[in-house]
Amino acid sequence: MRASLHLIKKEILLLMRDWHALVLLFVMPAAFILIMSLALQNRFSAQSGVHIGYYLLNRDTGAVDVALLKGLRAMHGFRALPTTASQRELEAQVRGGKPRFVLIVPPGFGESLASDTPVPLRIMATPDVFPAVYRLFQSSVREVLAKVYLKQALNALARQSKGELPSGSIDMDRVNKLLVSQSLYSPGGKGRFPSSVQQNVPAWLLFAMFFIAIPLSTTWVREREQGTYMRLRSMGLGMPTLLFGKLVPYIGLNLLQVISMLLIGVFVVPWFGGNTLTLGHSWPALILMAAVASFAAVAYALLVANLVTTSEQATIFTGVANLLMAALGGIMVPRFVMPQTLQAVSHYSPMAWGLDGFLDVFLRDGGVSMVAGSALKLFAFGGACLVMTGLYMGWRRGKH
Amino acid sequence: MYHDDDLGKSIMRGKALGAVIHVERLSFRYPGSTCDALRELSLDIEKGSLFGLLGPNGSGKTTLISLLMGLLTPGSGCIDIAQEGVSTRAALVPQDNAFYDCLSVLENLHFFAGVQGIRQSERIAAVIDTADLGAFRHTRAQRLSGGLKRRLNLAIGLLGEPHLLFLDEPTVGIDPQSRHFILEAIKRINAAGTTVVYSSHYMEEVQALCDEVGILDRGRFLARGNLHTLLGGDRGGQLSMGLDRAPDPALREALSHLAQCSDKQLKQLFALLSGTDVSVDRVRYGHADLEALFMHLTGHQLRD
Repeated sequence: MRASLHLIKKEILLLMRDWHALVLLFVMPAAFILIMSLALQNRFSAQSGVHIGYYLLNRDTGAVDVALLKGLRAMHGFRALPTTASQRELEAQVRGGKPRFVLIVPPGFGESLASDTPVPLRIMATPDVFPAVYRLFQSSVREVLAKVYLKQALNALARQSKGELPSGSIDMDRVNKLLVSQSLYSPGGKGRFPSSVQQNVPAWLLFAMFFIAIPLSTTWVREREQGTYMRLRSMGLGMPTLLFGKLVPYIGLNLLQVISMLLIGVFVVPWFGGNTLTLGHSWPALILMAAVASFAAVAYALLVANLVTTSEQATIFTGVANLLMAALGGIMVPRFVMPQTLQAVSHYSPMAWGLDGFLDVFLRDGGVSMVAGSALKLFAFGGACLVMTGLYMGWRRGKH
Repeated sequence: MYHDDDLGKSIMRGKALGAVIHVERLSFRYPGSTCDALRELSLDIEKGSLFGLLGPNGSGKTTLISLLMGLLTPGSGCIDIAQEGVSTRAALVPQDNAFYDCLSVLENLHFFAGVQGIRQSERIAAVIDTADLGAFRHTRAQRLSGGLKRRLNLAIGLLGEPHLLFLDEPTVGIDPQSRHFILEAIKRINAAGTTVVYSSHYMEEVQALCDEVGILDRGRFLARGNLHTLLGGDRGGQLSMGLDRAPDPALREALSHLAQCSDKQLKQLFALLSGTDVSVDRVRYGHADLEALFMHLTGHQLRD
C-alpha cells in the first residue's frame, strides 16, 4: 500500500510538472464541449427557433396569394427572405449554398389550385442540405399548402351549398389544437423539450473521457522505453501495484475533466448564448456513471498502453479506436437512425453503455437503479481490460 | 567453449561454496521468437566478487541480468540467488537512465526509496554522498549532464543497500572524468562487500575492475573464469617476446619483415638476434588484453 501511495504521488507530481499536457487535457475537452454545444444549439431545435433562410419568389398575383404567403412566412423554423432577383440568379445562389432553399410560387398557382391540372410550387435545395432538413422544409410547405387548399375547397363547397356549410366559421388553426405533444424530459419541466445542449453534452463528455488513453498510454510507453518500469519491477513491485498506481491518479484526473466539462455546460455555454446544462436530479447516479466511465476509460487506456510499442502507435491507435467506438456507440450518429445490423453491434460498444447511462441521468431524470445496468456493463468492461492487461504483461514476461 | 577448470567443476557438482549466484542449465526464449536468447547457461558468482559480463550486442547479457533479477521467467533451468540460504538483496542499475526527468534528484531518490519501503532520509543522504550529487539535490533530472544522470542512476540502485548489484553498461556516453568517478565508486562499493555483476562493452573497464569475467555470445558462454587465467590463453593465444633494449634501424627493418613470416622462419629470427648485442629478456604467451581475447572468441563480423 505504501508503494502504491508513492506511485500515486509520483504520478500526480509528473502530471503537475507537465503543465502543457495538463492544459491540453483540460482546455481541449472544455473547448470541445463549448463549441459542440453552441454549434448544435439550433439543430432540429423545436423550441428555440431555427431560422434557416430561404428565398420566396412569388410570381403569382392571384387571390390565394395572400393566404399562402402568410402561411409560408409563419412556417416554424424557416425564414422567408425578400428578393428581387430572377429565378436563374436565385438558382445560382442556392447552388452555392446561400441560402439553403428557393421556393417559387409560379404564375397562375392560385387559380390552378382547384383545377385538374394544378401548377405546382417548386422547391430547389442546395446540394449539401441535410435530407432531414430538406424533408422538414418540404413538410412545412405541404402543411401550408394543405391548409390553403382545404380552405379554398371548403369555400367553394359552401358557395355551392348556398350557405348550408358555415365556411366562414371553419377555423383551420383548430387542427393544431387537436394535437398535444409532450416531451417526457423531466428536469426541464412538463412538456418542455430538452435543449440540444442537454441532449448532446453527455455524448461529447463521454467521447472526451476516453481520450485520456492518449496521455496515459504515451506516458506508460515512455516509462517502458526509459527503463523505469523495469527498475520498479526489479524493486519488487508487482503488476497489480503498478497498475493501481496508474489507475488511481488517472481516474482522478479524468473525473476532474468531467467536472470541468460539466461546469462549462452549466456556466460557460449560457454565457455564450447557449442553453444551460441541467445536471439531472440524482447526484449519486451522476457520480456513479462518471466513476465507472472513468474506470472503463482508464482501464482501456492501460490495455492500449501495454499493447502498443511506441508513443506514435499509442497516439494513432487510441485516436482512431476512440472515433470508431464513438461512431458505433451513438456519439456521432444517434443509434436509432443506424441500420438494424449496426444497431445490434452498437449494443456491445462501451461508449453506448456510457451514453445510455448518462442520458438516463441527464434526460430521463434517472436514479442509481436506472443507470445500474449501464454502470455494471462499463465496470465489467474496465475489469476485463485490467485482466487482459495483466495477462498480456505476464505473457510478455515469459510466462506462457 | 573453454573456462577456468575449477569454476567449471564446481558448477558440475552443484552450487559452489560461497557462491551468491548459482545458475544451472538456464534457457530462455522470448515469446514469439524462434531462437533461444539463452541456451543451457550455467554460472556461479562468488560472494564479494566483481564479475564482468561481456558480449556483443544481442548476445544475451541484458536477458541474463533480467532473469537473475526475476524480471523474466526462465524457460528451463534454475537460478539460485542466496547467500548461505538467506535471500540476497539485489539491485539493478539499468543501461538506460531509468528515472523521471520531471522530478528533481531528491524527488527521484525519495520516490524510489519510498516504493521499496526504505527509511528515507539517512539512506538518501548516504547515496547522495556516494554519487557526489549533493550540489544537485533540487535540480530536475532533465537538467543534469550525462555524467550526473549516470551518477543518479547508480545512486538509485544503491538505495536498498544491495548485497548484489547488477550494473548494465553504467558508463555509456559519459566523459572520462565521470567514468573514472563511477568506476572508483564501484570499486568502493565492491570493497565494502557488495557482489557486483558488471556488464559493459568497454573492455579496458572490465579488465581494470573485474577479477572474474564471462564472455557471452548467442546465448552461451564462450569463456568464463578468472581474468588472468583467461588472458593466459590456453587456446589460441599469442606468443610475444620482449627485448632488453631498442634494436638499431637495420635490425628493426629486418624484424619488421619477419613479423609477416611463418613460424618456420623462427630460426632466422634467433640468428638475427644472435649477431647483435640485443637479447630476449622475456617471453609471454597469451592474449595482450581482454579486447584481443574478446575479438578472438567472438570474431570480427558485425553483429547489428
